[in-house]
Amino acid sequence: MSVHFRQAMTWLHTWMGLLLGYVLMVAFFFGSLSVFDREIDRWAVPQTRFEAQPLPSYDRVLAPVYARLRPHPVDMAATQDRVIGPLPHPDTMPMSSLYAYTTHRDPVLAIGAEFDVPNKLKDDTDEHAHVHGWATVDPRTGQFLPNDQLKIGSEWFYPMHYSMHLAWNNLGTWLVGLASLGLLVALVTGVVMHRKIFREFFTFRPGKQTRRSTLDLHNLTGVVALPFHLFFAFTGLVIFASTVYFPLSQSLMKPLHDRHEVLEARHTGLPHEPSGTRAGLASVDAMVAEAKRRWAERDMPGEVGLLTINHVGDANGYVSLYRAGSDQVALVGQAIHFKASTGELLREEPAPSAIGSINEFLTGLHLQHFEHWLLRWLYVMGGLMGAVCIATGFIFFVEKRKQQHARTGSPGSRWVDAMAVATVTGMVIAAVGMLVANRLLPADLAGKGEWEKQAFWGLWLLALLHALLRSGPVARARINPAWREQCWVLAALCVAAVVLNAVSTGDHLARTLFLQTYWPVAGVDLSLLATAGLAAWAARKLRVRERRVAQAQPAPPAEAAGAGEVAHV
Amino acid sequence: MTPDPMPPAGPSASTTSAKRWLRMLLLLPACYAFTWGGVAFGIAGLVAMGVDYHEAEMALMLLAFLVFVPLFLWAFASAHLLRVALVLAGGAAGLPAAAWGLQRLLLN
Repeated sequence: MSVHFRQAMTWLHTWMGLLLGYVLMVAFFFGSLSVFDREIDRWAVPQTRFEAQPLPSYDRVLAPVYARLRPHPVDMAATQDRVIGPLPHPDTMPMSSLYAYTTHRDPVLAIGAEFDVPNKLKDDTDEHAHVHGWATVDPRTGQFLPNDQLKIGSEWFYPMHYSMHLAWNNLGTWLVGLASLGLLVALVTGVVMHRKIFREFFTFRPGKQTRRSTLDLHNLTGVVALPFHLFFAFTGLVIFASTVYFPLSQSLMKPLHDRHEVLEARHTGLPHEPSGTRAGLASVDAMVAEAKRRWAERDMPGEVGLLTINHVGDANGYVSLYRAGSDQVALVGQAIHFKASTGELLREEPAPSAIGSINEFLTGLHLQHFEHWLLRWLYVMGGLMGAVCIATGFIFFVEKRKQQHARTGSPGSRWVDAMAVATVTGMVIAAVGMLVANRLLPADLAGKGEWEKQAFWGLWLLALLHALLRSGPVARARINPAWREQCWVLAALCVAAVVLNAVSTGDHLARTLFLQTYWPVAGVDLSLLATAGLAAWAARKLRVRERRVAQAQPAPPAEAAGAGEVAHV
Repeated sequence: MTPDPMPPAGPSASTTSAKRWLRMLLLLPACYAFTWGGVAFGIAGLVAMGVDYHEAEMALMLLAFLVFVPLFLWAFASAHLLRVALVLAGGAAGLPAAAWGLQRLLLN
């Protein structure tokens, strides 16, 4: 391999890693939290702290719920911008389709619907004008949960992970996609740069100079979880490929795509359009029973994970029941479709093709809705290792250059370091701080969710400002004290969150662990305490290192750190 | 003035770095355009061979990034700038056109 090639790959690794590493940290950290998103929801919304429930009876419980569901005010406003003339009153809009989705970890049920809009659309290519409605329902009673209860896990941390809540034209998803591509490049170039990959599995010298030990840890976490990192970057991109990154079906290949939809509707017997004739709804419970019977007959007994009804109230209406994927990698599968007005079987989906199976498997492994707790925890470990790999990358970048920048007066290291503090400790402070705000704010506060989001962004911004203000020592080739100070703040916030949970809900650890065991809440509390311990330990170590660096003589230009390091430009 | 401990041979380190930045920032959209065209042509091609549209789309979504990454690394590291430019420009223009043509053929 030529020297030129290796140098080019090294340059790419350094600069794409630096530029996109900040976005990747967000994706990895919040991705790790998302593994337990529903458990964090339980912690943040105490009314939902009960056992997971199967999909309730449609005829008795859900039918009245859908009758009460209305277009969501947020989507009404968004749709108003897309149509000509004022939208009719939400109570008058007919429902055209609906869904209900649940997994083995959900006490509460997520439901939604589309409502037809009679107005003409501003954009001709915008098909089927609909307004969406959605809600969370207690499946035991059919009661709606109040709208302002933000599910901090599944509605905040999880979308943060793939979109950074930058919704404008999918900008956030594009940035995360670019960062994922950068990760694939960084992983391949990382392998090219390092000649002794196998040895790096076992090399970590924490007692050495910061540069050496940081690089060791960077290599170790990169190499040990290399298949994980490669897999998650790749599958993350594939998940959004057809809708965001390569939406060819909606652009260049739309004619071919649309013809296929029509042909498929004819072939499957599932009508693409409503007929215009009204019709009633047969017993959905009977359809559910029939679906379960058929799955059991195929040696795969299961629960319904997803229920949808298309062309509601129309003669062409059909009910689709998908089997929950708790015991398989695919999220949901083995769909069975029934004619809505009569309950007659329309279609039982055949097994997916080879390509379909591969796609389901890859995306299902990334999204992990299956029931396997050990694997779930391994995912968290993998994600956190990715975060450590990126963080040590930043630290190594700074350590390698700060002596030189201190001599030349360049502010580069100072900026990179301050941004790194904000993206590592600052980000965790924002996440935990949001949980603290969740417990401090009164439960019935109007717009509570919005306040919690402000707390999140505000704390993150404060962390950045703090890191910038304290970054002076980096210009003198020392350690930014903000690292240590934010570690202490984080430890305090973690403990505060646990205490506030105990005080505000009564679900202290003795209860959730032993008296009335409830793992979702106990798990979050224990994780917070572990984080507090780790943060406090790190703060103390940093104090020792800071003193050591400050007391050391001004070092001569640093010697090459040894095998495994390559000349940088 | 402290002498630079690693004086690079040839162009200065900052010129090389600037060139690499420019190259990286140009190649990202260029490789994206090439891959876009490739995915379109791949879908049209598979459908022409009798594969179901959604199957073809899924297959190409998997292949897209397996093409994009090596393409980008090759384009970045290659010393033959003209070759890189021809391949990327040719692909970005020719592949979507070929896909469009094939699509029209299939629909008529």
